[in-house]
Amino acid sequence: MGESTSPFCNLGILDTLTGDSIQEIIESYSNFCANTESLLNGDFSVDSEFACNVHGLCKYGLNSLVRDQFLGSLEETFERNCVSKFWQYFDAYSNVAILNTNEPPVYEDCLQQVLCKALEEISLEKQYQEKCLLVLVHALSDEEHHSNAEKAYLFSKYQLMVSSVLMARLPRHFPEILHWYFKGRLEELSTNVDGEFNYENESQDKDDMDIDERSKVPCRTGKMDIDECGLGKFSENNALVKNIGKVVLNLRSLGFTSMADDAYASAIFLLLKAKVHDLAGDDFRNSVLQSIKDWIEVVPLQFLHALLAYIGESVSYDSPSSVPKSPLASVAPSFYPGSNAPSEGLVRWRLRLEYFAYETLQDLRIGKLFEIIVDYPESSPAIEDLKQCLEYTGQHSKLVESFISALKYRLLTAGASTNDILHQYVSTIKALRTIDPAGVFLEAVGEPIRDYLKGRKDTIKCIVTMLTDGTGGNPNASGNSGDSLLEELNRDEENLENTGTDDDFNIDDKQAWINAMRWEPDPVEADPLKGSRNRRKVDILGMIVGIIGSKDQLVNEYRVMLAEKLLNKSDYDIDSEIRTLELLKIHFGESSMQRCEIMLNDLIDSKRANTNIKMNRSQTPHTGSEAGDTAVSLDNLDATIISSNFWPPIQDESLNVPQPVDKLLSDYAQRFHEIKTPRKLIWKKNLGTVKLELQFEDRAMQFTVAPIHAAIIMKFQDQPSWTSKDLAAATGVPVDILNRRTNFWISKGILLESPGQDLNDHVFTLLEIVDSDESIGNGRNEELLVGDEEGERSVDSVEDQIRKEMTVYEKFIMGMLTNFGSMALDRIHNTLKMFCVADPPYDKSLQQLQSFLSGLVSEEKLELRDGIYRNKYPCWVTSSKLKHLCVFRTVHVLELPLPSNLTHDQLADVLLPVGSTSCLSLIPSSTEAATAPSPLFGEFAEPGITHSPQDILASSSQFHAPMDN
Amino acid sequence: MGFQTEWHAVASWTWDAQDETCGICRMAFDGCCPDCKLPGDDCPLMWGACNHAFHLHCILKWVNSQTSQAHCPMCRREWQFKE
Repeated sequence: MGESTSPFCNLGILDTLTGDSIQEIIESYSNFCANTESLLNGDFSVDSEFACNVHGLCKYGLNSLVRDQFLGSLEETFERNCVSKFWQYFDAYSNVAILNTNEPPVYEDCLQQVLCKALEEISLEKQYQEKCLLVLVHALSDEEHHSNAEKAYLFSKYQLMVSSVLMARLPRHFPEILHWYFKGRLEELSTNVDGEFNYENESQDKDDMDIDERSKVPCRTGKMDIDECGLGKFSENNALVKNIGKVVLNLRSLGFTSMADDAYASAIFLLLKAKVHDLAGDDFRNSVLQSIKDWIEVVPLQFLHALLAYIGESVSYDSPSSVPKSPLASVAPSFYPGSNAPSEGLVRWRLRLEYFAYETLQDLRIGKLFEIIVDYPESSPAIEDLKQCLEYTGQHSKLVESFISALKYRLLTAGASTNDILHQYVSTIKALRTIDPAGVFLEAVGEPIRDYLKGRKDTIKCIVTMLTDGTGGNPNASGNSGDSLLEELNRDEENLENTGTDDDFNIDDKQAWINAMRWEPDPVEADPLKGSRNRRKVDILGMIVGIIGSKDQLVNEYRVMLAEKLLNKSDYDIDSEIRTLELLKIHFGESSMQRCEIMLNDLIDSKRANTNIKMNRSQTPHTGSEAGDTAVSLDNLDATIISSNFWPPIQDESLNVPQPVDKLLSDYAQRFHEIKTPRKLIWKKNLGTVKLELQFEDRAMQFTVAPIHAAIIMKFQDQPSWTSKDLAAATGVPVDILNRRTNFWISKGILLESPGQDLNDHVFTLLEIVDSDESIGNGRNEELLVGDEEGERSVDSVEDQIRKEMTVYEKFIMGMLTNFGSMALDRIHNTLKMFCVADPPYDKSLQQLQSFLSGLVSEEKLELRDGIYRNKYPCWVTSSKLKHLCVFRTVHVLELPLPSNLTHDQLADVLLPVGSTSCLSLIPSSTEAATAPSPLFGEFAEPGITHSPQDILASSSQFHAPMDN
Repeated sequence: MGFQTEWHAVASWTWDAQDETCGICRMAFDGCCPDCKLPGDDCPLMWGACNHAFHLHCILKWVNSQTSQAHCPMCRREWQFKE
């Protein structure tokens, strides 16, 4: 041992060298070199001689020289014989690989053969050289007795040499080539396996494809004859895997371990991705997760299993103990024949593959989430898949971001109808509730929708319609069948409650304990400001009401809609309304639905009263002569009697109903009074519905119309032609409204409109006989509810009501703006809140104020610039507006912008109520200032100088006195 | 031209009281007293001999709360139900 290491530092040894020994060394060395040469060239006969020379050299402690010299020649030979030859094989592919990165090279088959051949060749050469190296090891180890260490040292040196020499000349496209190779092989393998997989349960066309595939396979590998049986295929797969294994092994032995691993890993992932995309596609009605998992088991994992078994995993995973024990390791099925438990490597691969599959599927589904939610109830399998994926990957935030941007781009646009948005919102809630029961992400996703909907005018109306109407009310409505959203929600809730609390109530403690045990922290993404998960229990109705802001608004809107619906009913059938109301009561409380309940009750009472009145008549024949005539027709009159205090404000329009009907009505009222003394009836003659049957000489037609239509057409009984003025007078309706309503009959072809003598006076004529062909509705029964015509409602809409209520504040606002010049919205709001505390107190929301103000702006009373409101043009000319100043009795300094053509009286109107303590300065209004200002202003319009109202008036009277007269 | 009509009309009812609101509960006569939920037959009006009207429930409460003879809350005359 000392001999072999010390000579380097022990110069004294040189002195012991004699001439002979030097001679011997030189001889041995030159022989050694010659022997090496011949050994490397394949001549093993020099074996013993080589050993002698090595001994000779070692005797003088020249072991290192021997090693270096030998390795040097090995390197030289390897480089000369193999390397360039090896790389030359791939020169042909350099262009292909770089240019066609997306398409597999056309000559994939021959690439495969070339790769195999090249690897085989170079491996043979390497094996031979290793053999030579072994000879050296033997020669050296005879001398010394540590052959194993020596061998390991030399072989590692050699390995390093081989890979560095190869690497030094590595062409750039080689990794690409490897990639294509593995990809091609894997695809082949997967088609084979798929064929097996689908063999039994696939339809004929798939079989045809399989046959195509199979017929390709043999010419590629050249190994398999046309043998259709599964066994042949199985062995073929084995051979294929073995082939691949060999390639991997060869690559590894050349030092391309990481490159090979990368190549086949990326090929596997690519294949998996393609498979996921293929399976998932655009079909959301089936769950694909399980089939993807199955496929992972069958194709890539089988392949990896075979591959790892073939090449021996220890090469790749040399420190298995350091691998963290995977959670799946214990549950992994012993699926693989021949091995009782899957190896660490395989388990790690499975985890990687599954994660990748989950992530790919998740990305795919998230990208299409909008479409998925559009088809929601049908697409729930896709949602379920997504849920599982997200549980695994935890990338919820990705979902939120991507979905919000999809929403903004596709849903929250001017083109989408409010109904669609609401439906999508509900579907979103339902779908995301599955994914995330705590509702954390829903909160984030729902916010943009809510904000957007708040800006839409018809949101409340749509919500109420959606909640209450559905199709439960009118079963003949086409479209989605089933009940209203409200009933659905209710059903859901009941189900939830039933499953939630099926235990008895007297085990409260136990239940509490169980609940406590079940507690989970909120997800990390939860917004701490939004409260804990208990409060955030997903409540669809609550979220919808949240859009509106308060339940009162919703209830109000519902009341208006209900009134409209009830007033247009011609029978007393209100079953569906009662059901809806009961459901609403559950959600909003009994007290807030009180008025609606009274409305429904009115209908029930009306029905009873109606029967009573008619019964009463038959029992006690009405004393009087007219009984015979009207008694018959009283059957044709029904009435809805309402408690007007509890109904929304009802539009009252004047209408003279036809005389017989009017008689009938008063008769009816009389009887009501008799039955219900001292109660009286007040008819709303413009409301209700009339079923009309018109009998002409050649046809009969049925209509269901509003009273005004009936009144109009019945006038034509008396005379066949009316001018619009006369008709308006006869029916008691303004001419413009009359013209609009008459259009209905014109469009039905019953009246004919012709220009009269006056330009504004039309003549309407009844068409008794329809010209032969254009028989509009000849013999056909028309069932039309005309009450829904535009602008024709029996009840004030909620907006109208609010506008009416807001007009009270108009003078406050105008005065305020006069006083302060200009104000921002919230300042106006706050000021109103502060000062209008009584009778009627100001209780409107900022939004309502804003919409009212924008109404004033459009009426040109105000102007809005940069969010600041100011008086557009203070025209104090009309005395009603002048009165507005009365509000400001207490204000001491006023600047009055006035037009100069104000008369003295008008000015007095303005100024007298102001009170003598105020100081005023008059300024010309903006339009007046441009033209010549009135002399009135010359005196009083000095900026900064104020006068008492009396002064101004006195001066004004002088001024106006001559002009006014 | 001949006609056949089925008229479904709409009317509102009112107690034919002279005043708008009940002098006791200050609620509308055509509404109902604070204890009632439904107006109309469920919460009728009652006239006194003095021709003042109140919700039945309101005036009964008033009459019952008086130890001696009750007076009309409006005019202080002795309260008699109008026949």
